[in-house]
Amino acid sequence: MGTYIVRRVVAMFLLLIALSIIVFLLFAALPTDPAALTCGKQCTPQVIRQNAIRLGYDRPIYEQYGTFMKGIALGRTYGSGSQKFECPAPCLGYSFFRGANVTDLIKDRLPVTAVEAVGAFILWMVAGVATGILAALRRGKWQDRISMSLALVGYSFPSFFIGLVLLYFVIFKFNLMAYPAYTPFASDPAAWLRSFILPWITLAVLYAALYARLTRNQMLDTMGEDFIRTARAKGLTERVVVGKHGLRAGLTPIVTAAGLDLSALLGGAVITEQVFGLPGLGKLSLDAVLQSDLPLMTATVLVVAAFIVVANLVVDLLYAVIDPRVRLG
Amino acid sequence: MGKTKTGLRCVALASAGALALAACGGGSGGSGSPSAGGSGGAGAEGTRGGTLTFLSNLEQIAHLDPQRNYTGEDLAFASAYLTRTLTAYAKSRDGVAAGKVVPDLATDTGKPTDGGKTWAFTLKDGSKFEDGSPITCADVKYGVSRTFAQTVITDGPTYAISLLDIPKDAQGNSTYKGPYETAKNDTASFDKALECSSDNKTVTFHLAKPAGDFNYTTTLTAFSPVPKTKDKGEKYDDKPVSSGPYKIIEYTKGQQLVLDRNTNWSAANDTYRHDFPDKIVYKFSLENSVIDQRMQADAGPDQSAISVDSLTTASLTTVFNDPRFKDRRVNEFDPYVRYIAINVKKVPNLKHRQAILAAADRAQLLTIAGGSYAGDLADGVIKPNLAADYEPSGLWDSLLGAKVPDTGNPDLAKKLIAESGAPMPALTYDYGKSPDADKSAAALQSSLGKAGIKVTLNGIEPGKYYATVLAGADKENELAAAGWGPDWSNASTVIPELFTSAGGFDLTHAADKDFTAKAVAAKAETDRAKQGTAWKELNKTAMQNAWVLPTRFGREQRLAGSKVGSASGENGHVYIWAPYGSWGYSDLYVKK
Repeated sequence: MGTYIVRRVVAMFLLLIALSIIVFLLFAALPTDPAALTCGKQCTPQVIRQNAIRLGYDRPIYEQYGTFMKGIALGRTYGSGSQKFECPAPCLGYSFFRGANVTDLIKDRLPVTAVEAVGAFILWMVAGVATGILAALRRGKWQDRISMSLALVGYSFPSFFIGLVLLYFVIFKFNLMAYPAYTPFASDPAAWLRSFILPWITLAVLYAALYARLTRNQMLDTMGEDFIRTARAKGLTERVVVGKHGLRAGLTPIVTAAGLDLSALLGGAVITEQVFGLPGLGKLSLDAVLQSDLPLMTATVLVVAAFIVVANLVVDLLYAVIDPRVRLG
Repeated sequence: MGKTKTGLRCVALASAGALALAACGGGSGGSGSPSAGGSGGAGAEGTRGGTLTFLSNLEQIAHLDPQRNYTGEDLAFASAYLTRTLTAYAKSRDGVAAGKVVPDLATDTGKPTDGGKTWAFTLKDGSKFEDGSPITCADVKYGVSRTFAQTVITDGPTYAISLLDIPKDAQGNSTYKGPYETAKNDTASFDKALECSSDNKTVTFHLAKPAGDFNYTTTLTAFSPVPKTKDKGEKYDDKPVSSGPYKIIEYTKGQQLVLDRNTNWSAANDTYRHDFPDKIVYKFSLENSVIDQRMQADAGPDQSAISVDSLTTASLTTVFNDPRFKDRRVNEFDPYVRYIAINVKKVPNLKHRQAILAAADRAQLLTIAGGSYAGDLADGVIKPNLAADYEPSGLWDSLLGAKVPDTGNPDLAKKLIAESGAPMPALTYDYGKSPDADKSAAALQSSLGKAGIKVTLNGIEPGKYYATVLAGADKENELAAAGWGPDWSNASTVIPELFTSAGGFDLTHAADKDFTAKAVAAKAETDRAKQGTAWKELNKTAMQNAWVLPTRFGREQRLAGSKVGSASGENGHVYIWAPYGSWGYSDLYVKK
């Protein structure tokens, strides 16, 4: 097990390095000149040149990549003289567009996205899996039909639609709460919670529908297996048969999907963040793309990739915990 | 508002399909009683107190650093609350009155001598920064010097560099490089070009050429004071030291900017500004459709909120057909004129150029842009909200030899081509690609085709557009889509910029010596009325020469909360302030 983990972690780092090279080369191939983007309206070629030197864009691409990786490991210094400033490790670059270290920008946004994603994840897993189990156990009955119909409806609506409908009814039509402007937890915990309720529900409706259908199908397959029949024959209660044997065996593909969905959401739920004005990673990524902010785009792509790679590893490790038949090595 | 639109707000404008180039485009001294409206206002009274909230789709104000601030809305916001300037525009609902320059930090609107080559501004006594330190000439001089540090102080206007009498090197760059550069820096020339009196109260600017409207230039925050000891280079953008009625207490980009009263500001010293709200909160990163819904719902705290973004197209019909919004909605000109520039080097024949103007179906172009909400049909490059310099040019009535309907007159175009005595050259039309721009280009191609004018369309990725169309007369194509807004309320930042080689955005390459001489003379004219007359004449001349096909005077629509009033608005109604095409921030208040 230990060897397996070490091997996977090493492979994960190698994969991330390969990804960083690809991302770096891809962005270097774009027609956008990052030095020109640092410059304003009456920009001269000389100023562009000076900024290119200042930010290292005048160097060959392999040198730029080397400096970027060194910055992640050791930090780096931008500019010189009185205008010198430090970007401490892990330095993911400097966004001239925003006048800030990219690492700081991501650090600011990540907690918002993390709370949004994890909260929604808990909601959809509880609701989705419970609904799926219920539907499977009541197969063909009204509970199955209603829950699967609702799941189909939930799954059919895009997140921006669900978000806007929630806003319309909860905020504007029935005034059940004030518009939930994001508030840091430290400033006002209650306002902080309010700012996440609707985004959580929006994401949870979408994903819970998916997981309800997935769980139902898995449970139906599993509950028809021989070992379930054996468990029942041994006189185990239905709760133990379903909870300990059926659900556990059926969880593996659900965990796989959950891990990947959560990691993707940690990269930012772009539309939900936009609709609810949450200052998360998704909105940051979107703005970076719209503004051709190359250092920020590079960093956000790598951060999202890192989440997905790590989530894959965690999911693989969880297999061994969930399903005794799986042996890592 | 000049050439390339950068910064976050500019991005938003570009995404709206504009591709327009322009600057994109209390406390202890305050009284406790209601205050009168601004100069030239309708006499409405503002009320002190409350929290005024601004809602925005953007994730930050492009720049709060005074020397980097160059977006109309942001200039108006910062000038009202945080950054005092040497001079300012009158606060008035009326466009002509609002275009008048009034003193701010200075005791008057500046004293020109030497035919407009030297301008002196004496600072009022008692003006202070938020830390209580007095504002001196040295602070103004230091602020202006920062503009020269072009690699650090980016995105801002560079009029200090182009106007001050400081030598240029072989590449045309200033020999003075700003306050951060120590080696090979021509500080002596800067000290000579911008002098402080011995009592540190009078700022004297020595210009390279006469500028009759230099006191308009000094309305820009680029000419505002910055205390040297508080300067943090590009990081100064995050928390500039306030000289206005409010100061920054929180600025979290992507979330909010919060301003509280500046206790070192004095209403007795600053008679230009108001300090009505107790607190000002600027909320960022909100979805436009959500902002629209919140403004329409007008519930709870949103009653004292106001959107700094235009209404989305989907909301326009509701807002402008429902009487509930009558007192809260505005539909007024934005700062920009949209036009199609004709490269005179490539289309030298006047009749050919006039034929292009005559054939174009401008009504169809306006419809594609969004109809009457997108703007009015244009008849020149000076638009009505530049009121002192605008008058109808008569372009579509008689300047082309006959009346031209909005849908174009292909027969007149054919006649003009026949009169030219030369075959019409094939044209290539450069435009920034977008779904709407593609449709507009196709419509232009179709309408010109009816007059036998062949147009090849050349859609360019928006990010590369201006680099492509500003490549030089010989490399540029015959037609190019463009937009322009003035840097300040004077067509001195329109006519010379668009039609003379010294201008920053001359896509026409007209190089007309007589026209240029008149433009230079008008720029140096210190009599504002005479200057306005000169700009009107030059606008008409440019249209008669068919250097551009003016298509649209842009408009925008906004909505305010029911408890937001304006001290200079008619009956307290909010309005778009002409100088910046923005809210008149300083006069906004929260109704009780």
